Amino acid sequence: MDVNDLTNHIPGTGDFIKIDQNKCNGCGMCVRICIVNLWGIKNNIAFIRDDYKEKCLECGSCGQVCEPGAIDFNYPAGGTGVIFERG
Amino acid sequence: MNVYDIVIVGGGPGGSMAAKTAAELGLKTIFFERGRRPGEKNSSGCGLGPRMWKDFPDLMKELTPEKCPSMRAGSAARCYFINEEGVVAGYVMSRPTESVSYEPAKSWITMNCYRSEFDPWIAEFATNAGAELKSSTLVVSLLKEDGKVCGVVDEHGEKYKAPVVIGADGAISIVAKQSGLRTKWSKDQITLVPQYDFHAPPKKIDDIMGDEALAVWWSATFPASYQVFFNDGFHQGLGNWLIKWDKNPLFYLNRVINLKYYQRLLRILEAKPRELQSHLLPWLQYPYNTHTDGVILIGDAGGFPCPLEAEGIYPAMVTGKIAAEVAADAVTSGDASKNKLSRFDKMWQKTSVGEEFEAGEELYNIWKALPFSPKETMTWFVPMLMEALGGIYDWSQPHTKRVRQIAAHIKSYMPQALPFILKYVFPLVAKIFEDDLDDMMDPQKLMKALPKVMELLPKKKKRRRRS
Ligand SMILES: Cc1cc2nc3c(=O)[nH]c(=O)nc-3n(C[C@H](O)[C@H](O)[C@H](O)COP(=O)(O)OP(=O)(O)OC[C@H]3O[C@@H](n4cnc5c(N)ncnc54)[C@H](O)[C@@H]3O)c2cc1C
Repeated sequence: MDVNDLTNHIPGTGDFIKIDQNKCNGCGMCVRICIVNLWGIKNNIAFIRDDYKEKCLECGSCGQVCEPGAIDFNYPAGGTGVIFERG
Repeated sequence: MNVYDIVIVGGGPGGSMAAKTAAELGLKTIFFERGRRPGEKNSSGCGLGPRMWKDFPDLMKELTPEKCPSMRAGSAARCYFINEEGVVAGYVMSRPTESVSYEPAKSWITMNCYRSEFDPWIAEFATNAGAELKSSTLVVSLLKEDGKVCGVVDEHGEKYKAPVVIGADGAISIVAKQSGLRTKWSKDQITLVPQYDFHAPPKKIDDIMGDEALAVWWSATFPASYQVFFNDGFHQGLGNWLIKWDKNPLFYLNRVINLKYYQRLLRILEAKPRELQSHLLPWLQYPYNTHTDGVILIGDAGGFPCPLEAEGIYPAMVTGKIAAEVAADAVTSGDASKNKLSRFDKMWQKTSVGEEFEAGEELYNIWKALPFSPKETMTWFVPMLMEALGGIYDWSQPHTKRVRQIAAHIKSYMPQALPFILKYVFPLVAKIFEDDLDDMMDPQKLMKALPKVMELLPKKKKRRRRS
């Protein structure tokens, strides 16, 4: 089953996850923890997929696991982003 | 500038309970929710504990299937035990036992209902009491004067001033961060819990599960996974501390789903996956840094989920109510200093939540070392337990021989089990029984009892023959 078929999003989030590539040490913890696979590593530096705004479940784990503090996770604009109809 | 007596960030069960209490105490109250309505951002098991009915009877008696159609009582729970091969080696079903002392806890273990129904339901009590709910609104920063918090700012730059701000904003709390109470959880204080919601026809659940609407899947191949049944579906989720994930969490959750036994259950329940969710859940030995000048943190924001099983809705409600009472006192007296608000700690420590945390460290440690250490612990724990529970149901040998086989096999696990008991079980028992334990463990008494116990144990197998 495709996990993306199992999530619902309201558009209009704006950017809400930022990565400071100078701080990233390429440890890959963000890649490991994200259950919808929004992170990748290129040249030893983490990047987030372009379509993350339509896919992110807003758990915020990426920001929590990032040891060097390169990932700045904030919630998206009020009334937008993921919704859990049966949370 | 909008001026209030109290600003509450978060419209979960903690925030709503705080808002309801504050409004009832006559405070001009506003609470913020980033979702379009409370609940749509929240993912939970979601079983409601009976202590909610005990402590808030007037409120909880209003929770009915008409208002929350997903309700289903978890009257009994199954514990499945899965071995290293991914086989369900056995299961135990249990109901509330004779020692459970009050209703509704005698009738069910949890009452299950979706957060999308429960959170708006409880928020309505707050708005009915006169609190103002601002939904679809993200609070982005705290308002400060002379370095002290005096309100919040929303995403549109609108300011809301109040002498007390309550951080009810859950696991990732902007209030905790900006007030300087906590920048981030350490990785052994916060768990990530991914979860599937499955749809299943209510009649199928009735027929197949009956009133066994709860399950825990204890396993040697994934961290313990819970299953909570609602009227027309169920949650299957699992969590672990951020420090413990060695693979993607979904890899482990899918291991549950892919168990042969689980697939069979899905087939007979005619269950179909309906939603995938992921949420953080603070899980601490003891809450710390819960307040400062003009700020109190409650519920998940304050780290209040139960240290053993992380039940968090009831603690959020208890701490939300107390925080509002402490805030009302601060507002009336014109003193919202850290010192004044420290009454919050004294008050929650006296509640059932506080009592739970008295053995917080020991409870936390045992959970971490047992169900959340599948490889290290459950690989021996599951077969050992099943040997004890199920070993005798066997026709392979004369039963006396079986008992000796079982005993010998259980003994073979002792090199792992004994250190575990010494490290995790004894400290917990010692903590719970404290003074009594000194007496129970009195070496002189033990020495006296020991020879008698030894006498009872057979030294050698006696050969008995009927003449
Ligand atoms: C998967 C999972 C399963 C669980 N199972 C159970 C269970 O079965 N039983 C149980 O009792 N507990 C369970 N828990 C724990 C329980 O869900 C939480 O402890 C409980 O929700 C805490 O309530 P709260 O009000 O403190 O925070 P939350 O319920 O997290 O509410 C916080 C609210 O604040 C809003 N918010 C956050 N930041 C902002 C902001 N900046 N501006 C505006 N709004 C904001 C959020 O949208 C949210 O609605 C589970 C948790 C998880 C993750």
